[in-house]
Amino acid sequence: MSRGSGGGYDRHITIFSPEGRLYQVEYAFKAVKAAGVTSIGVRGKDSVCVVTQKKVPDKLLDQTSVTLLFPITKYLGLLATGITADARALVQQARNEAAEFRFRYGYEMPVDVLARWIADKSQVYTQHAYMRPLGVVAMILGIDEEKGPQLFKCDPAGHFFGHKATSAGGKEQEAINFLEKKMKNDPEFTYEETVQTAISALQSVLQEDFKASEIEVGVVRKEDQVFKVLSTDEIDEHLTAISERD
Amino acid sequence: MGDSQYSFSLTTFSPSGKLVQIEHALTAVGSGQTSLGIKASNGVVIATEKKLPSILVDEASVQKIQTLTPNIGVVYSGMGPDSRVLVRKSRKQAEQYYRLYKEQIPVTQLVRETATVMQEFTQSGGVRPFGVSLLVAGYDDKGPQLYQVDPSGSYFSWKASAMGKNVSNAKAFLEKRYTEDTELDDAVHTAILTLKEGFEGQISGKNIEIGMIGSDRIFRVLSPSEVEDYLQEVE
Repeated sequence: MSRGSGGGYDRHITIFSPEGRLYQVEYAFKAVKAAGVTSIGVRGKDSVCVVTQKKVPDKLLDQTSVTLLFPITKYLGLLATGITADARALVQQARNEAAEFRFRYGYEMPVDVLARWIADKSQVYTQHAYMRPLGVVAMILGIDEEKGPQLFKCDPAGHFFGHKATSAGGKEQEAINFLEKKMKNDPEFTYEETVQTAISALQSVLQEDFKASEIEVGVVRKEDQVFKVLSTDEIDEHLTAISERD
Repeated sequence: MGDSQYSFSLTTFSPSGKLVQIEHALTAVGSGQTSLGIKASNGVVIATEKKLPSILVDEASVQKIQTLTPNIGVVYSGMGPDSRVLVRKSRKQAEQYYRLYKEQIPVTQLVRETATVMQEFTQSGGVRPFGVSLLVAGYDDKGPQLYQVDPSGSYFSWKASAMGKNVSNAKAFLEKRYTEDTELDDAVHTAILTLKEGFEGQISGKNIEIGMIGSDRIFRVLSPSEVEDYLQEVE
């Protein structure tokens, strides 16, 4: 019969280690980093933009089916970084929850409510032994009726914060350092500046220039409220603008 | 709870009679950000450090001190996500009490019910204890009250208490400065000075949170500018 209290099981299920840590949660964070993809989110004055690498491991794969950027409702988007299968499970539950919210309460689920719901679900996995934490960091974006553009990040530990800009994945820390410098004086980016900051942050941190097919970009803008995944042509425009600017 | 494959407790006795998971949970609390509470003659104040992982985090989106009922507030030290579960359960219990008796729940009873939840998670199957200690501040017919609830589910009423990283220095500081007839405003100043003792960096209205309740029996969290005013007074 498996005994959990420090009988060496503190690494296998989410119980406390002697130092008061949850190893399974820490390993979940490592799984996010190991996926080898970096994502970036930036919040501007009246828009939010998220960007991630699109790694297609095999030329025979249908590229259009490789995505980590999901619409949850017409107005809310979710960018997942980490284990793709866990991401899809989370997205499915989030879509269901957002639809039920709309049905139950008669208005669209706000960004922070969805973020809190995802974070609370993640917390349950850190406390109940029967489910492991998900190896996903989720970035939620949307326009809040009262607070304007919002960007939230939820992690396997159940934390969630609103962000002016943030990053997740393999080069998370380098990206955050880059973004901290850019956002130091609380700049109020226009839509173009928001998108270009996000893309150039990713390019700088990974030290490569991208083609439009190698990244995914998702945006919400105050003027039309809907979550949109940019097409390769639209991404190309921004990439050109960035290279001309430099 | 009682999830099928885990219908056995994960918190079990060691040969020396200790519940080791609870001790580990307390260690998790001890590495959390410092928080404290002071009971004055005419109210209660609770306060906490609010250190965020990066300047990119929108500090307006984070509130550590929460209201459980209009006259009861709570602050935690330890794992934030665990505290959200307890806040939600406590709010529901308070509402259920009101629904039944059409009276606000007394502070002691809400504390006891929250503590019971925490104890259940040390004995039920397939779950781990909560990694938080709570400081509950309230004002009801019995006057101002301050309770601390630990991961084991044990709770005590305190005149002043602290939890988290800097607990021993903070408690020593509070022991020196506490007097039975402190007024609420003085208690706020003492709370700020206690936080300042172990604070790394520049203290400001944006990296601490203060909640208070007076004889008006309305618990509220101070805005960053109100906190700044109190900080100025302390200088």
